[in-house]
Amino acid sequence: MLWLFALIAGILFGLYYALAALGLNLIFGVMRMVNLAHGDVIMLGGFAAVLLFDRLGINPLITVLLVIPPSLLVGFVAYYLLGTRVQRSRDPEMMSLVMFFGVSQVVEALAVIGFGNNEASITSAVFGSKPFSIAGQGVPGAWLVSAGVGLAALILLFVYLYHTGLGRATRAIMSNADEARAVGVNPDRISAITFGIGVGLAAIAGIFSLFMIGGTTPSEGVGLTVTAFAVIVIGGLGSPMGTFLGGIVFGLALMFTQTYAPVWSGFAPFAILLVIMLVRPTGLMGRSVRSV
Amino acid sequence: MLIPRTRTVGLAALSALLASGLAACGASSSTTASSGAPKNIVIGTLYSGSGSFANSSLPEFQGLKFWIKEENAAGGVYVKAFNKKIPIKLVALNDQSSTTTATTLYEQLVTQDNINIFVPDFGSVLTLPAVTIAEEHHMLLFDQTATGAPLFTPGNKYIVLCDLPLSVIWPDPLAHFILAKHIARVAIIYGANDFDATQAATVKSVLAQGGITPVYYQAVPTTTTSYGTLLHDIAATNPQAVIELGYASNDIPFLQAVHQGGYHFGMVMTAFPGQQFSLIEGAVGKAGLSYTYTYGVPPYIKFNTVSEGLGTNAFISKFGGGNIANVSFENVAGYNTGLIIQAALAHATKFTQLSMRAALFGLSGHFTTLDGAFQLNSEGGQVGELLPLAQMLPTSSGNAIKIVYPPASADHSAVYPAP
Repeated sequence: MLWLFALIAGILFGLYYALAALGLNLIFGVMRMVNLAHGDVIMLGGFAAVLLFDRLGINPLITVLLVIPPSLLVGFVAYYLLGTRVQRSRDPEMMSLVMFFGVSQVVEALAVIGFGNNEASITSAVFGSKPFSIAGQGVPGAWLVSAGVGLAALILLFVYLYHTGLGRATRAIMSNADEARAVGVNPDRISAITFGIGVGLAAIAGIFSLFMIGGTTPSEGVGLTVTAFAVIVIGGLGSPMGTFLGGIVFGLALMFTQTYAPVWSGFAPFAILLVIMLVRPTGLMGRSVRSV
Repeated sequence: MLIPRTRTVGLAALSALLASGLAACGASSSTTASSGAPKNIVIGTLYSGSGSFANSSLPEFQGLKFWIKEENAAGGVYVKAFNKKIPIKLVALNDQSSTTTATTLYEQLVTQDNINIFVPDFGSVLTLPAVTIAEEHHMLLFDQTATGAPLFTPGNKYIVLCDLPLSVIWPDPLAHFILAKHIARVAIIYGANDFDATQAATVKSVLAQGGITPVYYQAVPTTTTSYGTLLHDIAATNPQAVIELGYASNDIPFLQAVHQGGYHFGMVMTAFPGQQFSLIEGAVGKAGLSYTYTYGVPPYIKFNTVSEGLGTNAFISKFGGGNIANVSFENVAGYNTGLIIQAALAHATKFTQLSMRAALFGLSGHFTTLDGAFQLNSEGGQVGELLPLAQMLPTSSGNAIKIVYPPASADHSAVYPAP
C-alpha cells in the first residue's frame, strides 16, 4: 500500500520539518525578526553531532542534550549583539533580513574553513539497522526518533509558553510588546531567552537532518532556511502550533508527490504554499502579524 | 537607441579585431616579449571554494595546480610554436558554485585577464556558461569533467573534453553487465538533469536491446535528499537491481536510505562512490557501501604505461605520498587537464586556439595518460576513456574497489547477488 507508507512517512517527515521551522517561527513571533541564518544553525547542529560521534562516539540523542546549553548561550549573546540593534531600527523586519543574511554568509564561510566542503553524516545504524513496523509498513528507526524528538520539542514548547511565567511573558510580547512592557515585562530579556530557545531548536533539528536529509554541508543553510520559511508560512507566521500543521502539510505533500509523481516532488510543497497564500494569506493557523 | 551604420561597421571591425586577438591565444601586450613569445602562458580557470560543487571542484583544482607546479619547476611548459619552454601563470577565480557568478567570471577571464588557455570549473552545471562564452570569443575550452551530450554540437569548434567520457557512454558496461547476469527486473531512478538523464536513457536503451524494460524508471529533482519513500515504492516493484544515477549529494542519502530502511536488493549501483570513495564511505559507513556497484575510475583503474606525464602509481606516489586514499579521481582529472594542455602546446604548430585544437585531434587515438586513452569524436567529446563497472567488496580493513566488468578490465569477479 503505497499511499499508507506515504501517509506515515509524510507525518514523520512533517514532524521533522516542524522541528526545523519551530525556532524560526518563535523568533519571528516574538521579535518580528526573520532569521535568515536559521538554516546555518541547523547545519552547525549537524556538524556538532558528526564531530561528537566521530571523535567521542557520542550517540546523537545525547548530543541533543549537549547542544542545548551552548545554543541557549549563543542565542542569548547574539540577541544582545545583533537583535537589539535590529529591534531599534525603523523597520526591524527588513533590517533583520539584511543583518541575518550577512550572518548566514559569515557562518557558512567559517564552516567551510572549520569543517571543509565535504558532506558529513553519521551512519543510520546508530538507531538500529532494522526498520520498525507501523501499520504493517517498515519505517526506519531514525525517522521515528527524529519525529519523536520533534513532537517532544513541540509539546515542551507548548508547556513553556502556556504553563510558565516566562512563557506567559513571551506570549504577552508576541501579542503586544508595548503593553507587555507597561505591565513590567522586560522585552529584551524575554527576547534574548526566546532567541536562545530558537537557536537551540534549530541546532537540535540539525542533528536529525543527518538522518532525514542524508547529511550536512556548509552550503546547505540557505536551502534549509527556505524550507523552514515555507513551513511557517503554510502554518502561519508567529504561530508555533501553526508550525506543527505547516510541517505536516509540507511532509505529506513531499511524500505523496514522491510516491505518485517523483519528478514534481521539489515543486509540489511550494505549489501548496502558493495556494495557501492565495486562499488564506495568514497561513493555516496564522493571525495578522504585520501592519501595513 | 539607434547606432549610425558607420559606427556599427566600426564596432563590428573592432569586435572582429578583438576576437582575432583572442584567437591568437590572447597574446597580450603585458605578456608578449619582443620575440613574439609570451612571457607566460596564462591559464584562466574557475573553482568552487564553497557551495555544492566544492567537494569536487577543489580537488580537481588541486590536481591542475600540481601539474602547473611540476611544469614550472622544470622551467615551464614546452610550446612548439616558439620552440621553447614558457612558465605558466594561473589566474583562478572563485565562483562559489554559482552559475551566475561563474558566467560573470568567465567573461572576466576571457575579456580582461588576457588568458591563453581557458579551463572551466568542475561538471556540466558550471561548465555550461563557459561553452557559449568560449565559442563567442573563439577560445578553445579545455572542458575538464562536463560530459553532458548537449554541450557538444557539430558547429562548435571550441570545446575539447579532457578527463571523462561523454555521459551517454558511461553506463554502457553497466548495462551490459546487467544483461550478462540475466537480471530481468531493473529499477532506475535518476536526477532530472542532462548528466543523469543521458545515462539513464543509455541504460534503458541497451536493456531494451536485450528485451528488458525497467520495472521502475523515474526522474527526481537533482536536489532530492530523502529517498526513503522512493525506495519503498521501488521495493514494491520487486527489482533485482536498483540503479541510482545522481551526484554525490544524492548518492549519500540514497545509500543511507537503503541501509536504514533495511532494503536488500541483489544489486545496488550509484555513480559517485568510485570518484569520492573516502567521502561517501565516511558518510554511509562501510556496511552501507559493501557489495554496491559504481563506475570504476582512476586511480582505481591504473594506467602506468603512458605517453604523457606521470603514470598512476607515480602520481599516487608524488601527489598522494604513496597512499591511494589521498588521491581522488578529481585530483587525477585536474592533473590530466594539465597534460592535455601540455600536449596541445607541444604539438600545435601555431600559437592559436584552432591550432591547439587541431593538435589534439591529431593526437586523438594515439595518446594515453593516467586517465586512459585520449580519443575525441568529431565534436570534441571524449570517447576513449571508458568507465568499467566496479564493486565495493568488504575486506578486513574496509571496502576495496574492484573492477568486475567488462571481463577484459576485471580484476575480480562480481559478487552477485549481494549476500
